[in-house]
Amino acid sequence: MNTKTLAYILKRIGLAILTVWVVVTVTFFVCQAVPGSPFVGEKATSPAVTAALEAKYGMDKPVLEQYITYLGDIILRHDFGPSIKLRGRTVASVIVEGMKTSVKLGLIAAGIALVTGVVLGAVAALRRNKIIDRVIMVITTAFVSMPSFIMGSLLMVVFVVKLSLLPANGSAQSGPAGLVLPVITLALYPAAYITRLTRSSMLDVLGQDYIRTARAKGVSGWRVIFGHALKNSLIPVITYVGPMLAYIVTGSLVVEQIFAVPGIGRYFVSSITGRDYPLIMGTTIVLAVLIVVMNLVSDILYKVVDPRITLE
Amino acid sequence: MKKILSLLLACAMVLSLAACSGSPAAESANPNASSAGTESSAPSSNGGASSIAVCIASEPDTIDPALNSAVDGATLVSHLFSGLAKWAQDDSGNLVIVADAATELPEGVANADGTVTYTYTLKDGVTWSDGQAVTANDFVFAWNRAAGTDLAADYGYMFEVVDGYAAIWEMVKDEQGNDTDEFANPDATLNVKAIDDKTLEVTLANAVAYWDELLAFPAYFPVREDVVSDEAWATDPSTYVSNGPYTMTGWDHNSVITLEKNEHYHDADSILMDKIEFYLSDDQNNMLTNFQNGSWLLIDDVPTNEIANLKANYPDEFVVAGQIGTYYACWNVNENILPASSTLTGVEAEKAKAEIRNAMALLLDRNYIVEEIGQAGQVPASSFVAMGMTNPDGTQFYQTAGTSSDYDGYYDVSVDALEDNFAAAVEVLKKYYTYDEATGKFTDIPALTYLYNTSEGHKAIGEYIQAALSGVGVNMTLENQEWNTFLNTRKNGDYSMARNGWLADYNDPICFLDMWVTASGNNDIQYGKGDHKDLAMYNLDLTGLGYEDIKVENGTWAQTYDVLIATIKSCADDDTRYELMHMAEDMLMSTGCIVPLYFYTDIYMLNSSVDGFFSNPLGYKYFMYCTVSE
Repeated sequence: MNTKTLAYILKRIGLAILTVWVVVTVTFFVCQAVPGSPFVGEKATSPAVTAALEAKYGMDKPVLEQYITYLGDIILRHDFGPSIKLRGRTVASVIVEGMKTSVKLGLIAAGIALVTGVVLGAVAALRRNKIIDRVIMVITTAFVSMPSFIMGSLLMVVFVVKLSLLPANGSAQSGPAGLVLPVITLALYPAAYITRLTRSSMLDVLGQDYIRTARAKGVSGWRVIFGHALKNSLIPVITYVGPMLAYIVTGSLVVEQIFAVPGIGRYFVSSITGRDYPLIMGTTIVLAVLIVVMNLVSDILYKVVDPRITLE
Repeated sequence: MKKILSLLLACAMVLSLAACSGSPAAESANPNASSAGTESSAPSSNGGASSIAVCIASEPDTIDPALNSAVDGATLVSHLFSGLAKWAQDDSGNLVIVADAATELPEGVANADGTVTYTYTLKDGVTWSDGQAVTANDFVFAWNRAAGTDLAADYGYMFEVVDGYAAIWEMVKDEQGNDTDEFANPDATLNVKAIDDKTLEVTLANAVAYWDELLAFPAYFPVREDVVSDEAWATDPSTYVSNGPYTMTGWDHNSVITLEKNEHYHDADSILMDKIEFYLSDDQNNMLTNFQNGSWLLIDDVPTNEIANLKANYPDEFVVAGQIGTYYACWNVNENILPASSTLTGVEAEKAKAEIRNAMALLLDRNYIVEEIGQAGQVPASSFVAMGMTNPDGTQFYQTAGTSSDYDGYYDVSVDALEDNFAAAVEVLKKYYTYDEATGKFTDIPALTYLYNTSEGHKAIGEYIQAALSGVGVNMTLENQEWNTFLNTRKNGDYSMARNGWLADYNDPICFLDMWVTASGNNDIQYGKGDHKDLAMYNLDLTGLGYEDIKVENGTWAQTYDVLIATIKSCADDDTRYELMHMAEDMLMSTGCIVPLYFYTDIYMLNSSVDGFFSNPLGYKYFMYCTVSE
């Protein structure tokens, strides 16, 4: 790695930190600006109780002071604070516990999506306009356009209700069998998308002069595909995989709901509806950091895959 | 080639459409397939008759007895803790409150100052799940903790009846007499004492009819000081020390909470179910699938659009139970609904508005709402205090409400009465608005807004109200807000009409009536606030009931309703008390601000292999006496 690349990476890391800080700041102040409070419910508490709770969570102080305290807590003490709604639990413990499941599920799904996507995409490109290409394209079109709540419900009806083959739940009690349906539901969209991406990029590469040259020079068909075409056609896939990984491992609210998966996805929504400010901040920071890091990683991967690309 | 492609595409679309539309019907039209599933999977998932898997809700916010404010949390806590009293079924299946950790539930002794003292003795052998004895001091600690300012629990006000509570929450007043944010008596405690390890003495500010029931309420359960000193104690089985029929042996967050029989429980022999798994799910379709394949034997919620099918296909397993609660629409009392041309002001205007609101309430067909929208066996309501609340003689409170002996409550909500109601309403509205005979509509009713929180059910009811009122020319727009924002808007009174609902905390009408005193945090109608504050138009005469000094003519809301509620709260005679409560409801309903729509029900599905299950009117479910037949 040359110094130019290193400098670029360092610059990107600096930018990443800045991005996360901006996200934290904006989220913090937006939270404060939104009407509502974590202490309201259908049954109202008295003003004295609300005041006591606000004091307990430091919400009685000026917003700017709360902001500085919060930044200090996360930077200096790595403390994301207590969850207001889930009394007795810290934001860190909620996130870690949820992430364990979501990451496991997400990585399996991402792996499956990547492998099937690239393989099917390559096959479709190589058999362009043949029947197999058509079949793959029709199926992927269907999967790309079908929302996951329909896909999940469909799989549930077929494999759980009709065939009684798999458990309905993705929780630990169901064992590995419980992961099958949520993983498939999670993986189908990215798999289909990667297939289409790989296909079009592969077709593009296959038409390039250097492929023709390689073929003309008598390089064997497989070596042309794996040694030259596939590697170069993966660049757009890599761009997509970074953010995809970030989204897929932070869980999907829909998939978690349908299959009762104990992941973190649900908290992205429930923390906001419950105005659980520390949990909103925690989940937002996790998602922001993941996306920033994944983008950085895919940028670096570009370089690995295609040495012609200079990072600066 | 293109032909093949388009053919394939068309096939895929047809297939996916057929699969989507076919799924719900196929699911319910095939009960045999599901029961076959029950047989095959029941042995593995239930592991014999001494364990049961159920789903009553998603992850509870807390299962700390003092902090819990949810019905599902109360169910869990009721299995884990043993208070002085508990809910039980008597031999004929009626629900009763019986002594649990206490040897008996004695009558209170009235003191000269009007306070009432109760003395309880703890049973022998009442211990914590770690073997330590439960002492009277544990109750003293737990109650002060639950009622205190440190915890500031949602349900701290359940201790309002105990002497000393008011002092705990008294604030220092500033020069204008307004509350500051400083507590006046930081060291104040409840008037509850441990005479010795086994004897507990508690003094109530005055006689309270529902005191025994409060003792069975989760907030009144004991906790031990050294256990709860760890703030995270209630989130982890290893630190969760309880004293009830069960101990928590596992909590996989968002998956399952496992309870196993507590051998240290003082009445362990009576507990039939050895292990209960409370699965945590917030998806109704997921719950239903798990019920249908026999994994879960009780689910507390079902998809609304499946209700009709489930009723037909699971007649014995689909249960509609009573739940003490009322779904209603409320008006903002200060909203001006008089026509622009009206010259009425002050008291006259408010009297007219009350008449108009009551007339508009007659325009709604509650049977349509429960049958077409609710679909879960709800009961059309014509009073605010919910069905299930009883008078001292055991009759239903709502049936004796109102003045007419021809129907229950304040208006006739039967289908037969619809036409008469409509005609009567139009007659009243004609007094205030311009009626166009040609169209049968009023032309100058100001535009109104109906506020509801985002939910298909609330929306459907809003749309119905909009449609029904448009029949007489009301131009009503619907406004939907996200839950938390909605609560805020409604509390601040920034609405004209809003969706509202109330579930009882305990089986006494006062928990419906005291929310409308001026200072109540639940006073969304804004009684006694804003313009309504100074309107001297209400009468209160209690001289006939033994309160010689309470007679107010043309008083404000604070001078009448607030006084009436305070009187009810300190009244020791049951008959008088209930008469006063009926008066309070009469007064509320006369304002027309509350438009009752229906009384809630609790629907759940219970596998027919389960025996011995019961639930109480507050919706708590009890599995400890259940057996499961193979």
